[in-house]
Amino acid sequence: MAGVMIGIEVHCQLNTESKLFCSNSNDMRNKKPNESVCPICLGYPGSKPVINKHAIELGMRIGLALDCKIADSMFFSRKTYFYPDMSKSYQITQYEVPLATEGYLTVGDTKIRIRRVHIEEDPAKLMHVGGDITNAEYVLIDYNRSGVALAEIVTEPDFTTPKQVHQFLDNLLSILEHLGVYDSSKEATLRCDANISLDGGERVEVKNITGFENVEKALNFEIIRQNGMKRMEVKVERETRHFDSDSNTTKSLRKKEYEEDYGYIFDPDLPVIKISKEWVSSIKKNMPELPDQRVKRFVKQYALDEYTASVLIYADKNLADFYEECCRNYNKPQTVANWMMNYLLKSLNWRSERIKNSKVRVGTFVELLTLIENGTITERYAKELIKEYVDTGISPKELMKKSSSGKIDLDAVVKKVLEENKKAVDEYRSGKQEALKFLLGRVLVATNKQADPKLINEALLKQLGASIAQ
Amino acid sequence: MVPLIQSLVKKHLERLAAEDVNLDDFAPKVIEKAKALQERFSPFITINEKLASENMPRHVMKLPFSVKDNICTRGIRTTAGSKILEPYVPPFDATCIHQIKNAGGFVVGKTMMDEFGFGTFATNCAYGAPKNPIDPTRVCGGSSGGAACVAAAAEFPHIAIAQSTGGSITAPAAFTGTVGITPTYGRVSRWGLIDYANSMDRIGAIGKCVYDAALGLSIISGYDPMDSTSLNAPKTDYTALLGSEIKHLRVGVPVEYFGADVDESIKRNALDMIKGLESFGVTWEEVSLPSTKYAISAYYLIAMSEASTNLAKFCGLRYGMEGPLDGNYEQYFAQLRGKYFGEEAKRRIILGTYARMSGYRDAYYLKALKVRAKIIGEFRKAFGRVGVIATPSMPIIAPRFDEVKKLTPVENYAMDRMTVPSNLAGLPTISVPSGTSSGMPTGIQFIGNYEQEGTLVAVAGACEQV
Repeated sequence: MAGVMIGIEVHCQLNTESKLFCSNSNDMRNKKPNESVCPICLGYPGSKPVINKHAIELGMRIGLALDCKIADSMFFSRKTYFYPDMSKSYQITQYEVPLATEGYLTVGDTKIRIRRVHIEEDPAKLMHVGGDITNAEYVLIDYNRSGVALAEIVTEPDFTTPKQVHQFLDNLLSILEHLGVYDSSKEATLRCDANISLDGGERVEVKNITGFENVEKALNFEIIRQNGMKRMEVKVERETRHFDSDSNTTKSLRKKEYEEDYGYIFDPDLPVIKISKEWVSSIKKNMPELPDQRVKRFVKQYALDEYTASVLIYADKNLADFYEECCRNYNKPQTVANWMMNYLLKSLNWRSERIKNSKVRVGTFVELLTLIENGTITERYAKELIKEYVDTGISPKELMKKSSSGKIDLDAVVKKVLEENKKAVDEYRSGKQEALKFLLGRVLVATNKQADPKLINEALLKQLGASIAQ
Repeated sequence: MVPLIQSLVKKHLERLAAEDVNLDDFAPKVIEKAKALQERFSPFITINEKLASENMPRHVMKLPFSVKDNICTRGIRTTAGSKILEPYVPPFDATCIHQIKNAGGFVVGKTMMDEFGFGTFATNCAYGAPKNPIDPTRVCGGSSGGAACVAAAAEFPHIAIAQSTGGSITAPAAFTGTVGITPTYGRVSRWGLIDYANSMDRIGAIGKCVYDAALGLSIISGYDPMDSTSLNAPKTDYTALLGSEIKHLRVGVPVEYFGADVDESIKRNALDMIKGLESFGVTWEEVSLPSTKYAISAYYLIAMSEASTNLAKFCGLRYGMEGPLDGNYEQYFAQLRGKYFGEEAKRRIILGTYARMSGYRDAYYLKALKVRAKIIGEFRKAFGRVGVIATPSMPIIAPRFDEVKKLTPVENYAMDRMTVPSNLAGLPTISVPSGTSSGMPTGIQFIGNYEQEGTLVAVAGACEQV
């Protein structure tokens, strides 16, 4: 795919208590539409914004984590445009001097340069009724989102494949979660706009894609679409497109013959904020551990291989937190990692759940591992049990009680198998070791493959020995 | 010492202290008087008639205030002089309204103004124009015309809360023979003020005399965390500074403000007043503010740029006028704005949008900001030599309505040349009567250094005794 150039803009809703310029809660859990609003975020005449300093600090954390330069002062501008999602018909954003500039994030072997990180307010949420943005019957506006603090992270057009973009987003998400600036469990969102051009052609923007898989899909579609146009010798036009996740295609929203003119002015309601060296260094000092550092620590502290550590940390910050908490309660880091990687993650993914919103808890998960370790249940049975556990959150012990097949009376099964296979018993007694293997297989079948072969072996030898003594 | 001009407000406060006011019918009577004023001069957009019938305890309604209609009053319609906000009743009070209520004040009514403050004569209002109480064929000046009109004509104790962006307190005060204080930018919270140009908008007070205006400012000033540009300074009782010594005060007289473009009698009245202050031990000297000639251009570019963004929110959604839900969003709001914005508002939106468009932004908006910085620098330099700067308040006396009609927009804007520089700089000013010309009042404006409202009150108080 020579000549593909992709750059992205990521909008991250910041994990602040209140919105960027008013005191309404940022937490959108269980909120009715237009419940978390006030004269400021509704843009009422006479209202004025007051900056939430915490949002700036979270923005600084992002900048520092991405190796950016932090500006020594910051101010806001008004970006004017008429669209029903914008209560004031201008967005308070940063224009000339962003909070942070010139950073990078490495994806695989590729250094993706970060052009800027800036703070701005989120517009309201539009609900397109009876269709999508291109053909809705009418539109409903929910101002709960209006004024939520956003960090916009803009890359240089350094990506050459959609896959790279996906990886970058995975890494970035983990960084944002580790920084404590983003919390998806509060229904915060991460939205992505992507710009893509082929062989130096016109740049096409695909706007407001949710979900990293969709970003990759949208870009793959664009590459096919634009290549197709080139083959047919149709000029790719500069335009803004919208990704339709039902058809996995992009649709044209508007042609852009010229740069949009937002008529930026300095926002005269908000004074310049000095960012002192002391302020930056206090943020630096209190920076949480970043994913890369954590991977190294996991390798050292828990003797994990780098791949396992990376999966645990980059899949979801909460998963890594869960892992560490388990290790504190169950001192076999490798076992914890195996069970999480091989079975827990699979069950969560199957339910498309993230651990923080799931019913899985450290206590009950450790209980499961303990049951396996002391032989109360077999590994094979545990693998079945874990699905039900992830579904219900009921403790493994309780699940065993509930399930009749939980506790197998191995001795009874063995006794029955020996009675039914007298011939094999005789063969064993006459010295044929293969007969033991046959009997073991019978017992296994009789327990629906739930019993541990090791335990079956022990039970067989015990009963066979007893019958010899008889 | 000559006694201070009798203040109705001061007398009323003394009577209140002596429990000599019948508060049971005081407020309703004031409302009746306001209605009579409305008949004669139409200074109000809305009279707070509800007040008379409200179940408010009368004893808390002690001092009447009129409030310019771009200041939000909870439960009282607030239009900013525009048709587009005709049905708008704010759900909250401006900070200054809180302060007035806490001080025992009440709102008599909302005063007439040019739409969103866009005017010098209070003739660009969707609801009419206030008539000058001294000569009703003449304008009151703007944009706080209604405020000055009530201050001049009220026969009851009253303070007018006014607001200035480019001279909207000084101009009507000068035209009506009243006193107008425009405080340092940030002294009075802008929370609840419907924005014209946020970097210059200031709420102030107009009264019959210096005492009234100074009391008004004392009540409404103070730090407010709801306004990010609020000045973090302690509250001051400016009335206490009336009559304080100004013996060593040096008054700067800027040559640029006494040119051929100012009426002779107005210049003479101002200079006579300055000479009259010599008896208080005041000295004066000429100063120069050479960038004054660029102030009008810089002011209108900045003010219109900011205004055009402020007015973008009026789209017929959430509040204000609505229209039939036809067509798409763009068609809807374009039709609505076309119908309900006045001509001057449209002119300023178009010019302001133009001045900040990419390609013109550097040449207009950003250049104007540079001129502004230069003007501020010149003022700072002047205040190194003098304590206050004295200028004529307005270059002309209040014109007749028919004269205003003949003015082109550019001639109209040029009328602000005495007031715009200090508004660009955010410096406090006070306008006091300096005499008369052709039977109409003239005003002298004192510009003070930042946070020096006290000095302005003292020197203006002295003027009342000259």
